[in-house]
Amino acid sequence: MTRWPYSYPIALLVALFALLPVVVLFTLAVDTAQLFDSRNLQVLGNTLLLMAITAAGAVVIGVPLALLTAYVQLPWRRFWLVILVAPLAMPSYIGAFTLYAAFGPGGEINQLFGLATPAFEGLSGAAIVMTLYTYPFVLLATRASLLNLDPSMVDAARTLGMPLLQSLWKVVLPRVGNGIAAGALLAAMYALSDFGTPAILGLDTFTRVIYVEYNAFGLSQAAMLSLQLLAVAGLILFLESRVKSTRERPGRPLVLWPRRSQATLMIAAVLPIILLAIVLPLAVLFLWLWREGSGTFTLQYAWNSTYASLLAAAVAVLLAIPVAHAAIRGKLGRFMERVIYLGFGVPGIVMGTALVYLGLQLPALYQTLGLLVFAYVLRFLPLAVGTIRSNAENLDGSLVNAARVLGASPSEAFRRVTLPLTLRGIIAGGALVFLEAMRELPATLLLGPTNFETLATYLWRVYEAGLFGQAAIPGLLLVVISGLGLALMFSGERWNLKESKEQ
Amino acid sequence: MQRRAFLQSLALLGVAGALPASIRALAAAPAAVSVDDLPALEGELTLYLGRGEGGLYEDVLNAIQKRNPKFTLNIRRGPTAALANAIVAEARAGVRRADLFWAVDSGAIGLVNSAGLAQPLPHSLTGQLQPEFRFPDWTPISGRIRTLPYNRERLAAEDIPDDIMALADSDLKIGWAPAYASFQSFVTAMRLLKGDKVTKEWLRAVSKHAKKYAGELGVVMAVERGEVDVGFANHYYTLRLKSGKPDARVNLAFTNNDAGCLVNASGIVALSEGELPVNFIRYLLTREVQSYLANEAFEIPLVSGIAPPNGLPSLGTVSPPTVDLTKLADLRPTLNLMRSAGVL
Repeated sequence: MTRWPYSYPIALLVALFALLPVVVLFTLAVDTAQLFDSRNLQVLGNTLLLMAITAAGAVVIGVPLALLTAYVQLPWRRFWLVILVAPLAMPSYIGAFTLYAAFGPGGEINQLFGLATPAFEGLSGAAIVMTLYTYPFVLLATRASLLNLDPSMVDAARTLGMPLLQSLWKVVLPRVGNGIAAGALLAAMYALSDFGTPAILGLDTFTRVIYVEYNAFGLSQAAMLSLQLLAVAGLILFLESRVKSTRERPGRPLVLWPRRSQATLMIAAVLPIILLAIVLPLAVLFLWLWREGSGTFTLQYAWNSTYASLLAAAVAVLLAIPVAHAAIRGKLGRFMERVIYLGFGVPGIVMGTALVYLGLQLPALYQTLGLLVFAYVLRFLPLAVGTIRSNAENLDGSLVNAARVLGASPSEAFRRVTLPLTLRGIIAGGALVFLEAMRELPATLLLGPTNFETLATYLWRVYEAGLFGQAAIPGLLLVVISGLGLALMFSGERWNLKESKEQ
Repeated sequence: MQRRAFLQSLALLGVAGALPASIRALAAAPAAVSVDDLPALEGELTLYLGRGEGGLYEDVLNAIQKRNPKFTLNIRRGPTAALANAIVAEARAGVRRADLFWAVDSGAIGLVNSAGLAQPLPHSLTGQLQPEFRFPDWTPISGRIRTLPYNRERLAAEDIPDDIMALADSDLKIGWAPAYASFQSFVTAMRLLKGDKVTKEWLRAVSKHAKKYAGELGVVMAVERGEVDVGFANHYYTLRLKSGKPDARVNLAFTNNDAGCLVNASGIVALSEGELPVNFIRYLLTREVQSYLANEAFEIPLVSGIAPPNGLPSLGTVSPPTVDLTKLADLRPTLNLMRSAGVL
């Protein structure tokens, strides 16, 4: 091809923007005193441990649940699937916040029932919380792979006398290894960049130490730590790019009919997870609501959150379409897409710090909603790009060719064929960005306009002041709005189609 | 309800009652001014408000706004040190957004002032404060004292050493919040009084039997629950906890003439010129606001002639060390020290 596709210049521009925060961090980090000391090593150790345990935990929980939801004919299948994915609607810091308050001596469980429970804190606490809120990534990725498998090989194995569990282990799982790996890497990435959970549970990971340094005038040290964190994120992104999805000719999915006792047993095994991840946090929030009422909360905070997140979702989708297009069109486009993925590895605290300094160079932007939305877009654009691209890749290219042969111009073919077919992916991508922007905390703290309080910043404020009870309404609202975003996202996802095909 | 009564009294006193002329007469008066005697505020100000006081400062700000309908106050909330960072970075970039900075810790004020950003304040304002809290370019609003809250079911008052250094060698289980600005100011004071080496050894030794919390309210709650025996925290967290829960199992102990009983202050600094910021600060030093902060937030009033909060021994019975509060801004070495001791 001699001419660049139309999408390349836009993708290039977006990629350059994505690199801006890194440049700012480098300039801030130059006058740092220490490149690396024993304390960094400890922080690095904590961060890597949390990541590894989270990824492992998410696989241990997510894979069996994927098998369960993909193949087993449980009563109310659909209900179980929705309930098992529901932790995605709960920001992990609300989980951390409520579980921290529920457990331990003097915690809510202790006060209400007199039961002595161990405290929820440190590495173990943070790893449990992270696992509870990231296993759906593994569940969804693995389930999607499972549904794409051709089950005739399992049938063959079983005909040849292999027991069911063994054939699942030896014949099915190796073929969905990539799906599992993709989900596990997402979980690891999440654990790496989350700020609220380790901060609330008192584990010194990169994000928390960066926040402490930043708040203690240690700006260059914070920038240096941020660059180290980015290096780890870059490594995970590299690993992620190595994971290739396998294709086989999909057949009718495997269907397993459990006996009534088996079904009961399976549901019993699932219940503790749901109890800990969803029921208990919601119960604590309702308890606080009942006990303390609404406090100083006003609906304005919810509107601020929603408004900024909607803007971010709209802008992200507009930018993601050409980037996804470029990524499909060629190697260079693919490379630019990888650069944009860097944004996903930049935690909010780092993005916030960098953009404060960038904003100060452009006073018209400083402390405006625009700069905040810009930060959201840079951080969450990869989510939209990924969703839209995977959706567009699955399009049958011959449809566009047919349109072209019939005389449509490239733009007309895009408008009348590609766009309508990718609309689901676009909605899903936008919803994903909305979901993440709603709950984003550290960048919002640093970049929001004056007088601009969101659900997340309000939650953080009452947490820091120790007024836990006032977290009830914003916490519940955040869960409800996230739930709506999640529902919208799944309404645009492919697995929904698949599900209806199965029925 | 004391809180509501305060809000009403401040709001309903009416603008008509304000007598701008009387302000000059008050310059010489030792006692606290009433909001009735202050000029009405007109115009717009942006206040950077250091976070951490759980809505009590907000009540004060709301009442002031209610009383002055022609006055708009934009509030930017954030951690005190982050806001101080932002103010300095903004000045360097030639962007000024804040007219006032209300910090919960005098160290952050020192940082802003040493960058040369503070506007001088008239004596008619600073003269209202108790003599040791008068500064030319910032105003303390309320005082807080470092204390050792202890679990009274596990320990008696005489089990607590009255020397902060002795705590390092004790076998008491200690709760602390090293990431908290007030704690860092306390370590800075220790550094200034005892030197870096001794302070680092102390941090190392204490960290062996210490448990970390996010904030000092968390420390006090942990002491109350019996998770730790004793903690390091500003005095008001304990008093607030006890006011809501009178049978709380926590009492206050004080050390003697060392960093352990440092008296620190929240304070405000004017960043832009003119009458309006100064007059705004006058409101914070009124009898009404100072009594409110003492009664509801349990902070120590610093204007002459206002009663201290209930439950706190008078400042005469404790012996705080002599430390120049603005020197507490020298945080960088403190943080390096804390990092190398592995506690931050």
